[in-house]
Order: sequence, then structure tokens, then C-alpha cells
Amino acid sequence: MFWILVQKELKTIIQSPKFVTTFLTCSILILLSVYVGIQDYKISLNKYAAAQSLVKNEMEAASTWLELENKIYRKPNPLQIFSAGINNDLGRFSLISQSHDIKLESSSYSEDPIFAFFRYLDFTFIVTIVLSLFAILFTYDSVNGEKESGTLKLVFSNSIPRSTFLGAKFFGSWLGLITPISIPILISILFLLLFNISLTSSQWITLILYIITSFGYFTFFIALGIMFSSFTKTSSSSFLISLVVWISFVFIIPRIGTMLAGQFVDIPSLAEIESMKDSFSKAKLNEQFEKIEQLQLKRENEMQGFSESEKEIYKEENEWEWMKEESAITKEMQDASVQYSNKLNEEVRNKKNKMERLALALSRFSPASSFQLASMNMIQTDIDLKNRAEDNLKEYKNSFVDFITKKQNKNGSGPGGIRVSLSSLTGVQVEDKRGKDKLDFTELPVFTEPELSLANIIQPAVMDIGLIAIYIFISFGISFAAFLKFDLR
Amino acid sequence: MLKNLINKEIREIIQSTKFVISFSVCSLLIILTFYVGAKSYHVNKSQFDSAAAENLRGMEGVTDWRMIDHNISLPPFPLAFLVSGISNDIGRNIKMSGYGELTAKDSKYNEDLIYAAFRFLDLDFIFQVILSLFAVLLAYNSVNGEKELGTLRLIFSNSVPRDKYILAKILGSFLAVALPLLIPFLIGMLLLILLNVPFTSTDWLKLLLIISTGFLFFGSFITLSVFVSTLTKKSSNSFLFLLVTWILFVLVIPRASILLAASAVEVPSVDKLNFQKNVFANQLSEEHVNALKSFKSSGAGDVIEEFQKYMAEKNATREEKMNAFSKQLEEERNNRQNAQQDLSFTIARVSPAASFSFAVSNLAGTSLELIKNYRDQAKNYQKVFADFQIDKTGSTTTSGMVMVVRKTGGDVKTINPSELPKFNFTQPDLSNVLSASIIDIGLLAFFNILFFAGSFVTFLKYDLR
Repeated sequence: MFWILVQKELKTIIQSPKFVTTFLTCSILILLSVYVGIQDYKISLNKYAAAQSLVKNEMEAASTWLELENKIYRKPNPLQIFSAGINNDLGRFSLISQSHDIKLESSSYSEDPIFAFFRYLDFTFIVTIVLSLFAILFTYDSVNGEKESGTLKLVFSNSIPRSTFLGAKFFGSWLGLITPISIPILISILFLLLFNISLTSSQWITLILYIITSFGYFTFFIALGIMFSSFTKTSSSSFLISLVVWISFVFIIPRIGTMLAGQFVDIPSLAEIESMKDSFSKAKLNEQFEKIEQLQLKRENEMQGFSESEKEIYKEENEWEWMKEESAITKEMQDASVQYSNKLNEEVRNKKNKMERLALALSRFSPASSFQLASMNMIQTDIDLKNRAEDNLKEYKNSFVDFITKKQNKNGSGPGGIRVSLSSLTGVQVEDKRGKDKLDFTELPVFTEPELSLANIIQPAVMDIGLIAIYIFISFGISFAAFLKFDLR
Repeated sequence: MLKNLINKEIREIIQSTKFVISFSVCSLLIILTFYVGAKSYHVNKSQFDSAAAENLRGMEGVTDWRMIDHNISLPPFPLAFLVSGISNDIGRNIKMSGYGELTAKDSKYNEDLIYAAFRFLDLDFIFQVILSLFAVLLAYNSVNGEKELGTLRLIFSNSVPRDKYILAKILGSFLAVALPLLIPFLIGMLLLILLNVPFTSTDWLKLLLIISTGFLFFGSFITLSVFVSTLTKKSSNSFLFLLVTWILFVLVIPRASILLAASAVEVPSVDKLNFQKNVFANQLSEEHVNALKSFKSSGAGDVIEEFQKYMAEKNATREEKMNAFSKQLEEERNNRQNAQQDLSFTIARVSPAASFSFAVSNLAGTSLELIKNYRDQAKNYQKVFADFQIDKTGSTTTSGMVMVVRKTGGDVKTINPSELPKFNFTQPDLSNVLSASIIDIGLLAFFNILFFAGSFVTFLKYDLR
């Protein structure tokens, strides 16, 4: 009996006029999004490669180790084809040099704001908004619609348990909607192969998991439609309720969640933090100058009463010691600045994490945000990408700076660059001490993005996937309970 | 007669459940948008103020105006919190110096990615997504629904002209929603006053224009829905058709247009530009050092002063060359970007939703023009700042070297940071924003007329039975 009901359900869906329209719309949208995503990914790969060779050229133009700067770009991720997440909002590169803090800057959207105007069309967007709407469109009248047309009475003139009927409804609509949607999804996976997008095996697994999660999210809306149709009498009211709930889940709750969280947690702006860092390091620089001046004055005092030749000898004897003293002061001040800026960064990051946790907790009342968060996490275009990337870059910066200092020490300790000296005898002299030899980059540490293990990728998404499952169970449970008491007449 | 028909229409809509529910949802959202917008404005303003204060504090104790680290940033303005446009996507902070190129960094979204993930709630979004959907919901069956119920025949058993009937349908559905919605908008405006959001009279006018444009957009979806319901026999068909159209207009066409334009017009990447500039700068720097090396003191007067002057001259020529080069590159990229923008906007304007977005972001001052405005005003400020430095110290910071003599001991004169000229960002005035948005407002009016005429013509031939 169950299978007959499922078959009937399948037939009703596939033969309905809305099926052709919605199926076509969905297919076109999915294929379009994936195609565009692939093109976009290819463009960003080219950009990435070009940027890297430009950085190499720039570095080769440097003539001293001290002035060497590196720029590390974020590598495009092939799975961003399906879920762009915050990829276009996050800065694309960070400068790596002794004097710069790691900071990802120049997001794609800030460079080409025209793309920011309407944002991006990706698979996640289509699933979140369009597919969920269609799921509701097919299920909002699945129970009370049959009552309105009188077929419900007919069905129950046979001896069918209510649970079987509802189970068949659910399974039938699920099968009737998931199967056709799978076709464009399979084609889009074919696209990946066709356009030579190479994925690692863990990326393939992630992709499959991601698609399963999308199906889960879609299933939730099927269950939601059935739920409303089994506890309202008329299909028009169940439609209205489902539509309002859909709007709240998809558009309203996620936004309001984050906006409210922003009101509760006060985070100092980046501009303020940078100014604080600037003032601090300036103060330290002044302190450094003053301390060194005092040292010099002290030395002058020590040498009082010496003749010129005695002074020369004394200076030569102590030169090494003095230099060490001075550089110790310099180092102390620099370290203090670095420490201060790390402390500030840490504080801001903590506050931000607090705010983000709150925002996410609020927005997770909507399955749509859970789905978005789960997919961003799996595909690694999530909010935490910034922290991960910056942490990796910090590590790289350390090895980069170490390398440069070593090279610098080996090639003589002079600062290089251009020196303007002034003497009463020769007047002004400009010396260009920059070496004319090319720097040797063979030993330069290369940045490699550490690859996350599959477990690490899936783990942050587990909570949201679980939430979606819970949402499905709740809505199915409620529809079950409501239908047991449903007035069939 | 017309009045009666409109009255009937309004009464029918207002008494329906779908109106009550959709009206409450919209009202809630509108009020929330104003409230959260006002609050966010204050949060951002205080962040902005403390950043500016911190920046000035950092200058205390500095002895030379050429040694300051000076940042300017785009101040938050109230309308951006009601229609955010691209205001969160563009760089806001600029490191100011008396010479050279200015780059705006740190977009709000890059700073707070959580907002980028879910975006903001603003009036653009409410009208574009929510109200348009409700317009469809309220009017999809306005004609064929009455036919299904049989009331259409009843009405036309009286001597009602068809043109009056269809006019009443459209006006009635529009007024039934627009009039009640004025209440949450008024409450929202009251909130702005109560929460002390500094709105100038121009801002108020702009806000009124934004809301009116919103209603014009809403009207286009009402007329479209009525049009479709006169085209189709069954209300379920018209609903399906309208829903797909809604998805296309609101979600797909605007995005697709930009992607299409991007593949048609290529814009050189910023990386490439920066590289070309770097190569050129290196070349110039080489020449510069050689020029400095050839310095010969005339022997008369202060050597340092003479050298400073010589260096300043060389800096200026190097500066000029670099600027000309950068300007040329930037212009090329800007032209490309403009071509791309024009193409994508033209395609996008097929959809009233895109026209609406363009119109209101222009009115709010958060359209793509904002970038240009900010850049231009920052450049003007740069001149003011350079003049100020020259006035104070005799020269401005340049791409070359500056010799700053550090005096020790005695009385060191520190600068007074409050003397620094302030950067004020001025909003485009009303006539500017109006002329920028007039095309799109006109288009929206055109859509209204088009759909109205369509429903009029089809209804004249409509089978009433």
C-alpha cells in the first residue's frame, strides 16, 4: 500500500503543470551558477598565477635583503564554485615584511565593486532561496489540498494507517523532487570534469557531503510544507503561513541575528586599532632615540679630559660594546611595539569571536543560516577563513624574517640603502650602498598553505548539519502528531 | 463608480488574512530597519570618532608636521544605514600624505566578515525582496480569481465599463497596501528623530524620495501581477508564472547582467597595475639617486639648506612623472570599469528590481558613485594637507627623502595636532542625486505604464464567463 501511495504522489508531482516550470527554472539556474562559478574560478586562478609572477619580479628588483618585501596571495579554492561565502569580501593578499603586520587587504569586491552591488549567484544561494521556495510550493497543500479536493476521504475509505499515508506523502514528495533536481546537479559535476577542474580526493568527499547537506536542507522545507498542510484546514492559509515562515527563515532571521549581535558587543574599529598601534610605536621610537642620546651623552662625559688621540683609541676600543648596547635598546623597543600590537590584535579578535558566537547562535534559529554556515565551513569560505589564513601567514612571516636577518647579517650589517652624509670638509655626499648584485632567492622559504585534513574540514560543519537534521525531525514529528488528529472529512 | 470599485477592492484586500499577515511582517521589518539603522549609525559614528581622536592623539609630541602618521576615513552617514548600497564593500581608510597616490583600504565587510556572510537589512532589501513578493501575493489572482469565484460575472451584470474596473483593481490593490504602510514608515522616521540621528533637510528629502521610489517599484509589481492575472485563466497558473518572474527579476537578472558584462568587457587587474607602477617607480628611483649624487654645493650659504632645496626640486620632478604615469594607468582602468558598468547596468535594467536598486542607492549616496566622490574629495584634501605642511614646514612629505633635524635638549617645539585641517566628506546635493537617479525612476514609471497598458488591453478582450 505504501508504495502505491508513493507512486501516486510521484505521479501527481511530475504531472502537475508547476513541475515543468520549476524544474526548468531550477535546472537552468543551477547549471548557470556552476558554469559561471567555473569561469570565475578559472579567472581567479589566472589572476593568482599572474600575481605570483609579478611578486617574483618585484622581489627580484629589490637590491638589499633589508628592503625585501613579499606578498602572499590567497590561493583560489575550486570548491568556491559552489559556495563563494566570504571569499570575495576577504582581502586577497597580505604584505610580508619585517615592518608590516599581517593583514589581508584588497578584497575582490572592493577592487571591483560592481560585483558587490548585486553579490554573487552560486549554488548555495540557489539552494537556500530558490529550491526551498519550490519545496514549499509543492508541499504546502499536500494534505489539506487532498481534503479540499475530496480525495482524502477516498483514500481513507481503504484501510490505511494514517502513519503510512503521511510517510508515503513525505517519501513520495521527497523522491519526486529530489530525483529531478539531481539531474542538473549531476550535470554540473560533469562540468567540473569537462572544464578540467582538478579536485583532491578530500575535496571530492567534501563536495559530496555538501550536496547531501543541500538535500538535507531541501528535505527540511518539504517536511515544513507537509507540516503546515497537516495542521491547517485550507491550503490557502497553509500556503500563506509557509511563505511567511520561508521569508523569515531565508531572509530575515539570519540578518537580524547578526545585526542584533552587533548592537550588544562593542568592537573597536580597525582604524582606531591601527592608530593606537601607530602612536605606541612612535612613542617607543622616541624613547629609543632618547635612551640612545643619553648613552651618547654619558660616553661624552666619560671621555671628558681626553685628548683627541685618546678619544679615538677609546672609541675604537668600545665601539663593539656600544653598538651592542644601542641595538639592544632598539630591539627592546621594537619588541615592545610588536607585543603591544599583538596584544591589541588578540583583544579585538576575542571580542569579535564573542560577537560572532552570539550572532551565529541567534541566526541558527533559521535552518537557512545553518545551511549557509555548514556549506561555507565545508567549502572553507567561512568567516573563520580570515583567522586561519592570517595565522598561517604569521608563521610564514617569522621564517621569512628569520631568513632575511640571516642573509643580512651574512652580507654585512650595514643598512644598505642610500646614505646622505654631511661633513664640514666635503659638504654633502650621497652614497648608494645598495648592492648591485642580484639577490639569491633559492633558499627563500616558500609559503605553502597547510592542507586541512578531512576531519578538520567536516568538524566545524557537524553542528549545523546536526541542526538541520534536528529541524527535519521536529517538523516531521509535528506533522505526524498533527495528522493523527486531522479531521479527514 | 470608480470610487465604489476602488473602495470594494481596498476593503477586500484589507480584510483578507494574507494582507494582515504580510502587512504585519512588513511593518515589523520596516520599523526594525529604522531602529537598527539608527543604532548602527551611532555605533559606527562613535567608532569613527574614537579612531579620529586616537589618530590625533598619536600626533602629540611630534615636532615636525612632516613626521605625522595621518589617516582619514569615510565618515558614516545616516542614509547609508537605511540603504547600504556598496558602502560596506569599499575601502574606507586612507593613509594621507602630501604627495602621491591615495588608496582606500579596509572595507567594512573585510573587517567584519560576519556581516558579509549574512548582509544587512535595509530599505532596498525590504522593497526589492519582501514587498515585491507581497505585491505578487496580493494581486496574482485579482482578475482570474474573481472569475474562478464567479464574482466577475456578477460585477459585470451591472453596467460597469471594463476600463474603470481594471483601473479600480490596480489603484485599489496599490492603495490598500501603500496607505497602511505609511504608518510604519512614519514610525521609522519618528525613531530617527527620537534616537537623535542627525538628518539634514536634504537627507529628509532624499529619504522621502527613496520611499516614494519604493512605492513606485511596488506599483510596478502590482500592475505586473494584475497584467498576468488578466493573461491567464487560472489563478494557480498566474501565481506560478509570477513567482518565476519574481525570481528572475529580483534574484537572477541583476546578478547575471553583471556576470555577462564582466565576460564581455575585460578590466585589467589591480595587481597588474600595481606591478607596472612598481617597475616605473624603481626606474625613477634609480634616476633620482643618480641625480642626488651629482649634487655640488655652491659653497655659499648653509649646505643643508641648499641640499634640502635641491632634493625637493628633484623630488618634485620625480613626483610629477610618477603621477602622470599612475594617472594614465588609472584612467585606462577606470574607463574599462565604466564601460563594464554601463553595459551591465543596461542589461540589468530589464528588471525593475535592478532599476529600483540603482535609483535608491543613488538617492542615498551609496551607489558606485560613492567611490568616485570619496576619491575626489580625498584628493582635494590631499592638496589642502600638502599646502598646510608647506605652510608649516616649508615642504611637504614627498616620495623622496626628507631630512628632519632632531634637536636634542632645550626647548623642543611640538606640533599642535588640533591645527590639522579637518577632512569633511560632503554628500552630493539633491540635484546631483536626482539627475543620477532620474533614468531609473523614469524606467520604473515606464514599467508601471507598460504593465498597466498591458492589463488594460488584455482585459478589454477578456472572457468574463
